[in-house]
This record gives sequence, structure tokens and C-alpha cells, in this order.
Amino acid sequence: MEPVTQSLLYLDDISVVFDGFRALNKLSLTIEEAEMRAIIGPNGAGKTTMMDVITGKTRPTAGEALFAGIYDLTTLDEADIAQLGIGRKFQTPTVFDMHTVEDNLLLAVKADRRAFANIYWRRRAHERARIDELLERIRLKDQRFRKASELSHGQKQWLEIGMLLAQEPRLLLVDEPAAGMTDQETADTAELLRDIAKTRAVVVVEHDMQFVRDLDVKVTVLHEGSVLAEGSLDQVSANERVIEVYLGR
Amino acid sequence: MRLFRRLLSAALLLAAALLIAWAAPASVRAQTAGGDLAPALAKIAADSYSDTEAALVLLSASTNPQAGVIVAALSDGRLLVDPATKAVYVRAKAGDALADAATGAAVSVAPAGLKPVRLNNRVRRAAEAAAGALSLLAPDPAKRLEAAGAVFKSRDAAALPTLDAALAKETVPQVRDALQQAKAAILVTSSSASEADRLAAVNLVVARGDQEALALLANLPADAPASLKAAAANGIAKINRSLAIWSVAQNVWYGLSLGSVLLLAAIGLAITFGVMGVINMAHGEMVMLGAYTTYVVQDAIRTDAPWLFGWSLAIALPLAFLFTGVVGIVIERTVIRFLYGRPLETLLATWGISLMLQQAVRSVFGPTNKEVGAPSWMSGAFQVGQLSITYNRLWIIVFALLVFFALLVVLKRTSLGLYVRAVTQNRRMAAAMGIRTGRIDALTFGLGSGIAGIAGVALSQIDNVSPNLGQGYIIDSFMVVVFGGVGNLWGTLVGALTLGVANKLLEPFAGAVLGKIALLVFIILFIQKRPRGLFALKGRSVEA
Amino acid sequence: MRSLGILDRRGLIFIVLVLAAGVLIPLANLLAPAGSPFHVSDYLVPLLGKYLCYALLAVAVDLVWGYCGVLSLGHGAFFALGGYAMGMYLMRQIGPRGVYGNPVLPDFMVFLNYKELPWFWLGFDHFAFAALMVLVVPGLLAFAFGWFAFRSRVTGVYLSIITQAMTFALMLAFFRNDMGFGGNNGLTDFKDILGFSITAGTTRGALFFASAVALAAGYLLCRALVTSKYGKVLVAVRDAESRTRFLGYKVANYKLLAWTVSAMLAGVAGALYVPQVGIINPGEFAPANSIEMVIWVAVGGRGTLVGAALGALVVNAGKTWFTGALPEAWLFALGALFVVVTLFMPRGIIGLWGDLTSRLRKPAGPVPAPKPAE
Repeated sequence: MEPVTQSLLYLDDISVVFDGFRALNKLSLTIEEAEMRAIIGPNGAGKTTMMDVITGKTRPTAGEALFAGIYDLTTLDEADIAQLGIGRKFQTPTVFDMHTVEDNLLLAVKADRRAFANIYWRRRAHERARIDELLERIRLKDQRFRKASELSHGQKQWLEIGMLLAQEPRLLLVDEPAAGMTDQETADTAELLRDIAKTRAVVVVEHDMQFVRDLDVKVTVLHEGSVLAEGSLDQVSANERVIEVYLGR
Repeated sequence: MRLFRRLLSAALLLAAALLIAWAAPASVRAQTAGGDLAPALAKIAADSYSDTEAALVLLSASTNPQAGVIVAALSDGRLLVDPATKAVYVRAKAGDALADAATGAAVSVAPAGLKPVRLNNRVRRAAEAAAGALSLLAPDPAKRLEAAGAVFKSRDAAALPTLDAALAKETVPQVRDALQQAKAAILVTSSSASEADRLAAVNLVVARGDQEALALLANLPADAPASLKAAAANGIAKINRSLAIWSVAQNVWYGLSLGSVLLLAAIGLAITFGVMGVINMAHGEMVMLGAYTTYVVQDAIRTDAPWLFGWSLAIALPLAFLFTGVVGIVIERTVIRFLYGRPLETLLATWGISLMLQQAVRSVFGPTNKEVGAPSWMSGAFQVGQLSITYNRLWIIVFALLVFFALLVVLKRTSLGLYVRAVTQNRRMAAAMGIRTGRIDALTFGLGSGIAGIAGVALSQIDNVSPNLGQGYIIDSFMVVVFGGVGNLWGTLVGALTLGVANKLLEPFAGAVLGKIALLVFIILFIQKRPRGLFALKGRSVEA
Repeated sequence: MRSLGILDRRGLIFIVLVLAAGVLIPLANLLAPAGSPFHVSDYLVPLLGKYLCYALLAVAVDLVWGYCGVLSLGHGAFFALGGYAMGMYLMRQIGPRGVYGNPVLPDFMVFLNYKELPWFWLGFDHFAFAALMVLVVPGLLAFAFGWFAFRSRVTGVYLSIITQAMTFALMLAFFRNDMGFGGNNGLTDFKDILGFSITAGTTRGALFFASAVALAAGYLLCRALVTSKYGKVLVAVRDAESRTRFLGYKVANYKLLAWTVSAMLAGVAGALYVPQVGIINPGEFAPANSIEMVIWVAVGGRGTLVGAALGALVVNAGKTWFTGALPEAWLFALGALFVVVTLFMPRGIIGLWGDLTSRLRKPAGPVPAPKPAE
């Protein structure tokens, strides 16, 4: 199939309507390979709904959503989309509480996802090495055999980012990674995301302006389900309409 | 509120209309005794079949109340003749007490050698016709109606004079119609009547439009004129068409009745499950407790104040509501409140409670069905065209709708309703605003249980009151709530009525059991398509 | 405690005990003389055999409820279908020895004026075919049901309610005489199985042994599933279904596999149950039975497999004792069990035992309660 677009993620005129309420209104957005983008916007701007559309949780009422130019995201389910290489981190950390840190990563590591194949699965050396490497990177090496439920909030956030990396996605969607973190953890997280963005595309939804400034990337402002402004943080901060939306009219 | 008020007044008007229709026949015309029985009795005393027959013709035109007694005694073989004195006596139905046939006065010493008046088939038939004719003039309109129906069936031309006499006097329109139909039936089959009269009579029979009319028209005498046969064939087709429509209407009625029962059983569940998200498997047992409350109330009334029996249901309603409501609150405070947010655990715990309640009732009242009586206004039936409508079903439909709208008003218009909705939508926010959520939970659960209790009062009228009563309703109630859409009372109403009517409309084709299975399968498939029911809430609120 | 292979210490003890009982109890029945303290009565062998079948059924329920979060209120249906498949074989074995002496038609069919065997009874005169149907019929029903339900993402109480509706519908169907399964009398008056008289002591012993082996094998199968990576995904589905989806797992397929395997195990349990109790009737489909199975699992300890089997034994032994000694009190006891277990023992006997032993070893250190599944 001939790619329609060169962009990694291509959203065109996406609308989502719940019982008359327009959560997304003709939203258009493109993300290139290995690009990092920050998405900001007031509550109810449609940030989470946009993520839901990209990951197949919500079907758009109208519009087109393509991944890598050829995959129509509006026809695939969450599992298909994840297997294509789109990873998602939720606002509140969701890890598997009853599993150990190691098993959490094991479930995320890129491998055959089919049910039957996993019955006959045996631990392999390269998987172990990959998990070691990830534990190192998210600084949870000492917690390897602890249950995820016993981790602190920040550790859970990092474990979830680690799980995201383990999937080796081409596009990461990260929802408020800095929420509930200490200043040091926030700075570390920004550092980690910048590092990841060297090889993969990352879309970060964030409220914390300092964090967005730390990331130092192109910013998209959403408002009432569509794009209000795009550009560097300084550019959008100077935009009259953005000020109006954020400061009230 | 306005809608509710309008519905309430409509319901009251309907109730009043029904009462009037029911009470009207009570305007009974008194009939004076008269008429000499002597000639007839003399013929009977002769004890030959032909004389007895002739006597019956005389008796059938008599206005003397003894005439009916004599005819009845004759057909039962209780009419005795003293061959010596030619006096005629009537023996009582039970025992040996004798009475003089002419006067009805008791005879203390029975004369020797009494012989029963002999019967053959001709006499028997004549006796039936005479009994029918006598009832045509009976003081009780219900009896006259019945007699007219009997004549319609027998088409006995001998009844014609009595029919005419009865028609001349008849004032009750309903009985008059029946008498005219009976006359028409005789005319249609009688070859002596004029063709024009017979054709007019066919129309009257067709207007009656039931199975009897059909049988009459299908069995015209072979010598009937062609025009009459053609009119009859037309009439048969017309009756069949209308009967088909009536039978659908009857099934819809049964369906609405079943639907109202489902609504009553499910409506409390719609609150505990739909509004609070609590799976109450003991809901059926709340219904059962309500039914037992009715039993206890009636039991007390029977022994201590029988004159109150007509009010027993009205007394049981608030008591059942309070009793089951309190039981519900106790269950909520001791068990369910520890399980919020864990619906599957709630399901198991309430199932345990339901087992204990069943066993408790079984231990106290025994395992057998308890007799719950119906006050007079709940029993009987009336006809609308070919529809037979029983009062108990009708009242249950009215009652179910009343309960439904009352609940709607409570939830939409009272402060309790406001708090309930607030707690349902955002528990923590409601708590932060000073609503005592625990108390609201308990009251809501109590309300749901109390409604189950008053449903039990109604269901005690149509179902067996036994410890297993609730078990029969729990699956159906869940089906209704899930089908209608959780958290939506209107969905419960539509769901209950739809499932009730669908069930009854399926029954003629599939039979009761297969129809029910088909519905269960349908709901299982339906939930796959619309996991949140017919009237589902959509959008972000659902995900929360 | 990390385990190597699929068996941990608890599992090993369980397997050894079950197999030992499977050998020793029939021997104690057949060899020990009636007066001996080692003698097991003729009454007790099929009773204990019945418990073993229930234990296997409980293991099957635990596989889907404990590990996958699917609370089935319809496993009685799979159990009964397996039982009916076996019952049909046993009916065909009666042959001309029935009351009406018809060589082909079972008595109830002669009574209901059947002229020939309905098509779905064909083949059941062969044990191998019947044995296959014991697996295929419940498996197929579960697969079809699960295919629709899991793909449409029916979860939680909705799923529980429709599984209940499923078994209720089957119960109504099997109560019908014209279904061809003996109506409300069900199938009974069995004579022999594989040529051996069903009432003989040796046959009873063999059936008991077979039940023990089936329980051990069923346990091993479930254990193999839950300790594999597949099992880890299953637990992930239980605890955070949508998160698992976003990792790229087709949740419906994972559930469907466990669900179908579980139904087939329930079918095997039903098939072994029928020759030991001598009857199968539509009452086995009653929704109340299916709910009772769930409480066995909860009593023993959900998500432990061994606990499920243990719970089935304990609750049913209690039931036997109560219905003999205090029949009035049984439903009170069972009802109270439901309430007490859900309120105070969320992890069942096994969890209680674990708490006690760990408290003895090291006084501090709370054990986190399992997260309730939706």
C-alpha cells in the first residue's frame, strides 16, 4: 500500500461526539518520526479523548487517523494498535499490582502476544538481558522482585514508562508523567523523555508549564476539541487567544 | 409532577368507571310471586312422560318462584309423587327433608309410598329448556344473562315466547342485547321464520362475534335458503377476522399484565442495582417477605376483625413497605456497606442473605404455600368485546404504574432523591458538601427493599406465597433491569412491558417454556450488542 | 516463595495426597474387613468420589474467577452437560434390560412414544464417542458463549448475570419432555459402564480412582496454565484489563481460552459424577447450584487452585453433615458462610493459613489483600 503521508501519525478532521457533546471538533495534528511534542490545554480541551482515538479506545464520529501512512487507526482495536507500535502511559499510573516489577516488564517486552504461544513460553536470555537493561534505566533494579503494589507513586510512574519502553513502540503517548512527582523526579523524568525522543516519537500531555519548558519542544495547544495554536512554548504563550483561554475571558 | 397528577386522575377516573359498571346490575327488580301451579302439578302427578313434558311447558311460563324449584328437583330426580293423594313433594338437595311442591312449606311426616317422577331424555331436555326459560325471568340480571347465553347455545324454539316476554320487560342494556342474540339464534336455525327475519338475525349473531356465534353459523340446518348460507359464510369470515385481532389483543393484555408484574419485581432492583450499583440477590426475598406480611395481616384480620378484610391489602401495603424497608436497612448497614465498589462480592454476600431469609421464613411459617385471600374488589372479571379482563390483573397494572410514578417523583422531586442522585454521581463530592453518604446509602437501599415489599403484597394476589416465591422473580428482574438499561427507571418500565408482551406474544407459537428460553437467549445476545441496555447512559460519565 | 517448574510445595503435597487417597480409599473399602478401623464403607466411597468431582469443578471455576476475574454463575451448566453426555452413554448401555425391554430406545423414550432414537443420541453407545462429547459439548457451548461475550467486552456483573441466564435457559429446556433427555426425571437406572456393573465394589473403587486422577490432572493442567506467561497475562487481565489491551494483548482470546478449558474440566467433573451418584437430572442446571460452586472457591481461597479444591471438600462435607444432623440449619449455615467469607475471609482458608504461618515466622509484615476484580 502506498503511504498517504510521510508523517508517523496523521490525524485529519477528527470529531468525537458523545450524546451531543463535542469532545473533539475537527482536530488535525501530525507527528513526525522521532519527534517530541507537548500538548497542553485547559480541562475538557480533548487531550485524553485524542489519546483515546489514537489508541483505539474511542471511535471517532468523523475524520481520518493514520499511523505510518498506511494503518487506519479508526478500524483497529487497542491490542492491534499497541502491536503496531503505539504505546500509552495513563494519567494515573496503571501497573499490574499483583505482579512483581520484573513480571510487569516481562509482560510489556516486545514478543509474541498470542495466547497459545504464551502457554509454551520459556524465559530466554535475550529477554532477561533486555529486562536488566530496562531496570537499570528506570532505576528499579533493587525492586526487581517486589510487587508493583508496594512501589511509591514516583516508582510506579517510572515502572510504567519502563513498560512503555519495553514495548519498543515507534510512538509513545504519555499522559501527565510529572503528576504527583517531586521536583527532582520531575527533572529526571524530563531528562528520560528527551533521551527516549532521540529514537522515537513522543507525545506528552502535561499541565505543568515548568515541565513543558524543561522538555523544550514544539507545543500544541488544544481548546474545545481542536487545535488553538502551535509553536514553541514562548510563541504560544504570547498568542492572544491562548492567553484568553487560559486566563478566562 | 403535572404528568404524574394527570396520570393519577386518569387512573382514578378509570377506577370509578369500573366501579360503576360493576355496581349497575345491582338495581334489581323485585318480582312478585304469582301464577297458579296447580294445573302443572296435576299433570306431573299423572306421571307419564308426555304429561310431564306438558307440565314443564306450563311451568316455564310461570312467574311463581316455586316453578324453578320444581324444575330443578325434577331434573335431579328429587321430585316425588304420592300415588295415593296425587300430591307432589320436593326433597331437599342434602338429607331427607321434604317440602310441599306447590307452597314450599316443610312437610314433617313423609307419606309412605312416595315415588320419584320418572325421566327420559325428552323430559330431561324439556326440563333444561324450562330451567333456561325460567332463568330468563329471574330477578338477578346476572342469572338472566347466563340464561340468555344458555338459550343461545340450545336454540330451543320453545323458549321463544319466554324470550319475548323477557325482552318486553328487560331494562338492562347488556342483558337486552344477550336476549336479542338468543332470539336471533333461534330464528336463524328455525325454518318457520321468514327469510328476511333470518337474515336480520344472522347480522345480530355476527355482531356477537365469539366462538359460539361461529359454531352457530357453521352449523346451519341443511335446508337453509342459499341467501342465508351466503350471509352466514360472510359472517364467519368476519368473525374469524375479528377473533384473530381479539386474540392478539388478549395476548397483549396478558403481556401487559406479566409486564406489570415484572415491573413491580424489578423496580426496587432498578434502585439498588441501577442507582447504587449494588447487586442485591436477596431482592426476591424482599418480595417474598412482603407477601408474607400480607399473609400475617390477613391472618390477624380473619381472627380479630373480619369486617376489615376488604381493607387487608391497604393495611398490608404500608406495613410491608416498613418491614422490608427496615430489613433492607439492616442488611445495608451490617453487610453491604463494607462491600461498596466490589459488586461481585456483594452478589455473593446477598445471595447468602437470601438463603438465610428463605430458611427463616420456612422455619417460621413452614414450607407449604400460604393462603392469601383476595378482597371482593380484586376478584372477578369483566368483558371488553372478546377480551376477558380480571380485576386482580387490572389492579396490579394500575398499582405497578402508580408505584413507578411515585418512585419517579421521589427521585426527581424530593430532597432524598436529590441526595441519592448526588451520591450516585459523585460520592466524594457529595460527602464534601456535607451529605451523610452512609445514611443516604442506607435509606436508598431501604427504599428499594421497601418497594420490593409492596410488590410482594401485590404478587401475593396472583402467585403462591411460599418461601421460594422470590426465587422465581430474581432472574427475570435482573433481565428487565439489564435489558432496560442500568440506572434508568424509564428503561425499566419499557424493558418490563416489552419483555412481558414479547413473552406472551411468543407463547402461542413457541409454547410457554420455549418462548421464555427464546427471550433469555435474546437478552443474552442483546447484551452483547448493547452491553449497557436499551436506554444506556453514554459518554465520559460511563467511564468514570 | 519462588518455584521452579509448575509445582510449588503446596501443589506437590496436594497431588500426592489426592493420588494417595485415590489408591488407598478404594483399597480400604475392598480389602480391609468390615470391622477393621481401616475399613471405608460402601456408602462412603461414592460420597467421597462425588466430593472429588466437586473439587475438580471448583478448580475449573477458580481458573476463570481466581485468575481471570470472570465470575461464572453458570458453571453448573457445563458440569451438567458433561454429566448428560455420560448419562446418555450409560442409558444406551442398559440395552434390552430396561422395563420395556426395548433394545435401542431408553425407557423414557418408549414411554413417550418415540419411534426411533433422536439424531443427537446416535453414537452414544460408544464410550469413546461419549467421552469425546463430555469435552466437546461443554467446550463448544463455552466457546460460542465466550466468543460473543468477551468480544463484546461484557464484563463484571453483567457477565455473571448472563451466565446465570444461560444455565437457567438450559434448565428450562432440559425440563421439557420433548427435548429428548428424559424431562424432569433425567437419566437414571444405569446398569453398567464399559461392561462392568455400576454397583460393583470394584467399579466404584475404579471410578473413585479415576476421579482422583482427573482432579490431579485437572489441577496440573490449570497450574501449567497459570504459571506460564499466559497465566501472568491472565492475572494482568484480571487486575487491569484495559491496561493489558494497551500492551497489545487480545484480551478476549486469553479469556476465551481459559473459559473454554474451564468448561471442559467442569464437563469431565460432571461425567465422573454421574456414574457415582447414579442419576443426572435438570436440577443440576439450577442457578442456585452454580452460585454454590463459587462459594466453595471463596471458602478455600480464590486464585490458589488448591484452595478451591479444599473449599469444595470442606463445604460439601459440611453439607453432608448438616443435612443429616441439622437439616433445618443447613441453609442458615451456607448463607452465613457466604456472608462471613466475603466480609472477613477474602482470601479464604488458604489465605488465613498463610497469614497465621507468616505471623508465626515474623510477627510484623502485613500481607496485601488481593485487589478485588471487577
